[in-house]
Amino acid sequence: MAPPILTIFRGNFNRFCIDSQFFQYFIVLLSLFNLSLCLYEDQVGKFDWRQNYVGKIKFANFDNVSQVKKIIVATEENVIAALNIKTGQILWRRVLEKGYAGRIRAFSNVADDELILVNGGVPAIVRYWNLTTGHILNEWPIAEQNPDRIEDVQWHINDGTLYHILPIYNSGVEVTAYDSKTGEKLKSRKISAPFISQETECVLASPYFICLKGDSSLAILFYINIFEPKSQPQSITINTIFGAGAEGPYRISLVPGNIAAISISTDNNRRKRLLLLENEPTPVPHDIDGENSVYITNFDDKKVVLELSYNDKITTVMATYLNENEPQSEKLHRIIHNDLYRPEIVATTCTCKSLKRYACKFLLSSEDHSISLLDKKVLWTREEALARIVAVEIVELPMSDRDQAIETEFDLKESLDVDSTWDVFGMLVRRLSSQANQVKAFIQAALGLEPQQSNQRADLVRDKFGLHKMIVAVTSAGKIFGIESKKGELIWQLRVPNIQGFSKESDQMVLYVQRGSRHFPHPPQCSLLAADKDTGSGVIFTFNPINGQALDGLTKLNYRVKQSMLLHVTTDSFLRSIIILDERDRAYVYPESATAVATSVGRNTYIFTVDKASGILSGYSFSYSTPQNLIANKVWELVLSPKNQRITHVVSKDPIERVHSQGRVLGDRSVLYKYINPNLVAIVTQGTSSVQKNTLNLYLLDVVSGSMVFSIVHKRTKGPVHIVHSENWLVYSYFNEKSRRTEIATLELYEGKTQSNMTVFSSLTTTKLPIVERQAFIFPASIESMRETITEKGITSKHILVALANGGVLELPWMLVDPRRSINPEMREEGVIPYMPELPIHVDGIINYNQSVFRISGIHTSPSGLESTCLVFVHGLDLFYTRVAPSKTFDVLKEDFDYYLIVIVLAALVISSYITKKLASQKLQKQAWK
Amino acid sequence: MIQEIRFILAIFLVISSFSNSLAENEDDVSTDLYVIEGKVFSWENAGNTPWQLMTHVMANGGEYYGFLREDGTFTISNVPFGSYVIEVINPNYAYEPVRVEINSKGKFRARKVNLIQTSQVIQVPYPLKLRPLTPFRYFQMREQWRVTDFLFNPMVFMMILPLLFIIILPKIMNDPETKKEIEQLNNLTSYNMPEMSEVITSFFSSGEKQKAKTVKAVKKRQ
Repeated sequence: MAPPILTIFRGNFNRFCIDSQFFQYFIVLLSLFNLSLCLYEDQVGKFDWRQNYVGKIKFANFDNVSQVKKIIVATEENVIAALNIKTGQILWRRVLEKGYAGRIRAFSNVADDELILVNGGVPAIVRYWNLTTGHILNEWPIAEQNPDRIEDVQWHINDGTLYHILPIYNSGVEVTAYDSKTGEKLKSRKISAPFISQETECVLASPYFICLKGDSSLAILFYINIFEPKSQPQSITINTIFGAGAEGPYRISLVPGNIAAISISTDNNRRKRLLLLENEPTPVPHDIDGENSVYITNFDDKKVVLELSYNDKITTVMATYLNENEPQSEKLHRIIHNDLYRPEIVATTCTCKSLKRYACKFLLSSEDHSISLLDKKVLWTREEALARIVAVEIVELPMSDRDQAIETEFDLKESLDVDSTWDVFGMLVRRLSSQANQVKAFIQAALGLEPQQSNQRADLVRDKFGLHKMIVAVTSAGKIFGIESKKGELIWQLRVPNIQGFSKESDQMVLYVQRGSRHFPHPPQCSLLAADKDTGSGVIFTFNPINGQALDGLTKLNYRVKQSMLLHVTTDSFLRSIIILDERDRAYVYPESATAVATSVGRNTYIFTVDKASGILSGYSFSYSTPQNLIANKVWELVLSPKNQRITHVVSKDPIERVHSQGRVLGDRSVLYKYINPNLVAIVTQGTSSVQKNTLNLYLLDVVSGSMVFSIVHKRTKGPVHIVHSENWLVYSYFNEKSRRTEIATLELYEGKTQSNMTVFSSLTTTKLPIVERQAFIFPASIESMRETITEKGITSKHILVALANGGVLELPWMLVDPRRSINPEMREEGVIPYMPELPIHVDGIINYNQSVFRISGIHTSPSGLESTCLVFVHGLDLFYTRVAPSKTFDVLKEDFDYYLIVIVLAALVISSYITKKLASQKLQKQAWK
Repeated sequence: MIQEIRFILAIFLVISSFSNSLAENEDDVSTDLYVIEGKVFSWENAGNTPWQLMTHVMANGGEYYGFLREDGTFTISNVPFGSYVIEVINPNYAYEPVRVEINSKGKFRARKVNLIQTSQVIQVPYPLKLRPLTPFRYFQMREQWRVTDFLFNPMVFMMILPLLFIIILPKIMNDPETKKEIEQLNNLTSYNMPEMSEVITSFFSSGEKQKAKTVKAVKKRQ
């Protein structure tokens, strides 16, 4: 038995020796492919960054009681947090429930290192926090009396007692006291105050409850001390405050600060006056500009009104002492700071330095949601607008100056001329002159004679692999930020005054990249499409996304925007125009100069609209356009709303997406062609069916032809629904009420074994309905948002990024949700994993590791210059940026690639081959002599 | 299972529920609201780290939140009757989720979450006691150059084994009969590899010293 084995073995022996030579080389080759999905520990923070935010301030207070001085804030995002007084960094942060259930309603003054917070709806929850550590000490729910009128309820927290104050129309005020620590109901009292009605405008300025009745000059303020058992309602006329001559409408509001006071505005908010409500209501005979914000506090037993005015980027803080007979104003600060925009004082703290001067710190909350700490100058600013981003684009950075110079050398337009005339001499002159310029610039730079002409920062240039980009983020506050993607630094910010989202429910605004940064010397251009706050009509703001400079400024449109789209063709200056459809179905082109370009492609351009309220979908064609005018013509209409269903989601594909493979190779080597219809839109309606069960309908609609491609009903399911629509597939998640779990369903569309048109898909000629594969999976976590990865050419496989409610962002390979995962093990296809009902959550697929991000509202993905890599920007309350490589980084060397090893191996091979050559020749010589 | 003895002594409050005044309505649907209670245990060596701050409890994917007190106990207030999946959210440690069911009469039952067989009930004690399962492993270990890795590599094995054979071979070869057999076989199967036998014979004559040289010679010839 042994000999044959030996011979085989000997035959292989030579090969093994070769193998041994190349063995190390193999290791090197293998190491080129990173075989795992996840990060290495030393890569933490290398490609990713996270920023935490708290949101717009609702209540704030300085905590001077604890050892570490800090600022406690409660925000509109239902967050309480402690901020470092010196730097503004978050010391600790607690995120409460989302939306209505977590809304913060009352906030106690900071005392003894403890904080009482009332939040939630009906019934409200009282939470009682330790301020140093941030843990909860106790929590108890209030047994609410009247669930319909939670918005009218006022809260007052004083000395560990929580007062729940409910005004009852035409009757009185019901005051219920609770022990704020234990939740014990102390007493309940009803105070007669018949002046309260639906028309009155009431505020609580403890201990008084004040209501304004009437709009004319006969308006009367009623007030009652609600903590005094025997108090009687009293009144004061507006005229006693303003004197004669004031005109309505009047508005009353509580003045923030630690002294009870209200402000009454008159003459259409042109001026206002204060009414102090400490013992007896005393009007302050001092006019304040209606625009100015007021704060009342006391410095050393003197009541002081702080008045903040903002005019032309100049913020002025004025102090008026009230104790003297004649109120005197004194200017405290005058600041010119770019970060402040119509600020309001939300909290102050003063330390007495000497008898006369006070060192005061003011916490300012600007109208653009930023928070600043002012102490003679602005110490720090937090851009809290970023906690609510509504639109994101990732824009490529421009080339460096040197590359741009080379680009000018071979300017496209001129080179065309060169082609036609072939002016060799001209070319030579141009090259020589540009090289001379380069040499000059180099010498100048080397000698340090001239600073760089360009205003761009040296590091904000395109890198080799297109990984360094500019993130343009539009926030609901109307502030636009340019964030550099490497470290997350804010490069520029722009305020667009007086804008809001298109609809009340969502802050939806649209951001278009009209021209990228590849078209030097034309600057890149982005456009923000939003609605005007006052009129609701459309507004377009164009800016340069790289340096944040406004290009054409704010253009107010005199119509409401119903739908808009970015045209795929460009003008001569490489600008893609925007087509806007107004409420009367008239079409406009922005900029207007591009109308000719838009109408030239009008024959093949379609647009669709969705009215969520009525459920009407309509499609329009631009084929009737004249060369001067773009005309939209309705070609189809569809009513998608059975009585109790409501359209909740309309999801189309990413317009920049490319599909690389046209089909899928089956086991028998035939090809199943994908149904890649760029006009396919998924529409989800949610509602209750006839038997009072929640249902969810999903429709796939071709929005050019208006034909329904597919529809499916899920019974006993409810939201939240998240959809990803890409290539020829759709992934969506919902909550299955019957089995009480989150499920992910997938649909995949195929044309069949033959392709209708090899070159281009046409919605009008393709009439065959696609084959739909579908499957559903159990997902063992709650989903906040979903998005697919995208790469430049679409060769890399797709992954789905799933933002989980526990703060993680999961990278889920699409292969796991492939609807062709067969349940029947015999039907298995190659390359398809057999069906498993539950999708696993691999911890190493969590791309943000332990950097949890909460309240994720969206994930933005963008291709990088590398085919393997996709850039991911997750936004919500926190921001997180990273890059993912769904098919591993196959096109770059691993960062820990061992250059030394390969050099050593190669050198050793070369040397050994020389030595062996020598040795072999010696040996041959010896043998010849034998 | 990690046990944190320090917290074991903590006593849980009795299930407390309170009724809303609205419950007096004639509706059959109960509008009573309940409180889910429990305790989260820290992992070993949590020590003085503010683990309570990093951790919170979530019911039904964020519909309701519970925050930890310093001793790890939590309450989730204002929940109507129904079924709730209680999860402990911590970025560093995994905890097993628990399903708490409250029926319309206010009876509590806690059980293991089974998403596939939803009717299977494995009860767990209520008030909840939630212990960390394992730390999350987000990161992959970097490959390091280790001698053992190198030696246990199949390629290296395949290379070392023949070497061993070469060493053992001379001992077998001492037997003249096998030697003949081999030579015969060699002659039969010697498709352009006469050098190989030469190599071996020269190897036999000069002993182990020339081993390295032999290998190199062979290399070169290919």
